[in-house]
Amino acid sequence: MTIPLTKPLRNWDPVVKLTHWSIVAAVLANGAFTEGGSWPHIWVGYALTGMLALRLLWGLVGPREARFSAFPPSLSRALAHIREIKAGKVHDQSSHNPLGALMVYAIWGTLGMIIASGIAMAGLPPKAVSHDRHAVQQVAPDHGEEREGEENPLGEAHEAAVNLLYVLIVLHLGGVIFETHRSGRGLVLAMLPGRR
Amino acid sequence: MQRAARSLEHKALILTLVLGCQALAATFFAIDVAGDIAEAGLGWHLSIELGATLALVGGVVLGAFHVRSLIERGRQDQALIAAARGAMGALIRARFAEWRLTTAEADVAIFAIKGLDVAEIAALRGSAQGTVRAQLTRIYAKAGTASHTGLIALFMDELIDPASTLAEQGEHG
Repeated sequence: MTIPLTKPLRNWDPVVKLTHWSIVAAVLANGAFTEGGSWPHIWVGYALTGMLALRLLWGLVGPREARFSAFPPSLSRALAHIREIKAGKVHDQSSHNPLGALMVYAIWGTLGMIIASGIAMAGLPPKAVSHDRHAVQQVAPDHGEEREGEENPLGEAHEAAVNLLYVLIVLHLGGVIFETHRSGRGLVLAMLPGRR
Repeated sequence: MQRAARSLEHKALILTLVLGCQALAATFFAIDVAGDIAEAGLGWHLSIELGATLALVGGVVLGAFHVRSLIERGRQDQALIAAARGAMGALIRARFAEWRLTTAEADVAIFAIKGLDVAEIAALRGSAQGTVRAQLTRIYAKAGTASHTGLIALFMDELIDPASTLAEQGEHG
């Protein structure tokens, strides 16, 4: 007679979903498709900056589970969480779990480094993208095959941060798979569009 | 089902997409203005551009607050409906027990309370319309009412307190 209410334990709001997947798309686009230093690469980077800025704003004004206060970066809580995992306890989390929280801040910090070094390299747009591709290539000559040969500290910082980001992404995916397996909850589903 | 909450969610989603576009635009303008100012210094024209950009950023912040309130209203709606459902379910179970409805009658009564007519109930239960009509007659007799509307009204009457409902609405309006 009564229909059981199957309520997902975690319910990310549309802003969190939008910023998450836009950043995924931007990282994919710039990592795999656009040419480093080219104007599409730079503009995709700016788009990523906008989405990250929106997510950070949302961390201040969003609903409770999206706010920074819901997932403070805390080593002690992360260690406590690891002990819980070892003890096999599954604990309801409406926001990121303490380990996930550390991952979130690590990814945001790394994105910040990538953005800062990227802007420092390309310069602000009037110089970088003054409507002819010539200028772009002047400002950002370190693309193409001879990138390795050139010793550009900014470029190296950019690349190092990007590599760090890839490592973090792999860890993040690993964490999601592990946590889904451990708790049996649709962790992935909570981030998919159209899910409630 | 839960149309109001759904429509709030829908609105929140659309506003989120708008907010995303605004955030992108604000970022592009902010970076563009910063570049212009770095190159040419803060002139008359650039001051206005800077003002426009700040206004856009302000719009994004206000938009974010608005989306948050929509999301929270949608969640509150869902929570209220869930609570009301729980209470309604308990009330229906209590009344059905009190009236000593059989299992088949209880099924028919639920559909009737949800507003389905004889033909629809018969189709859902795979029985003849005559059977459903007879069951409804027995249900009405046990409940001490004369009609379909009367049956529904028995529950509505207990759930709705006109004084408090209208007072609340006055506060909102």
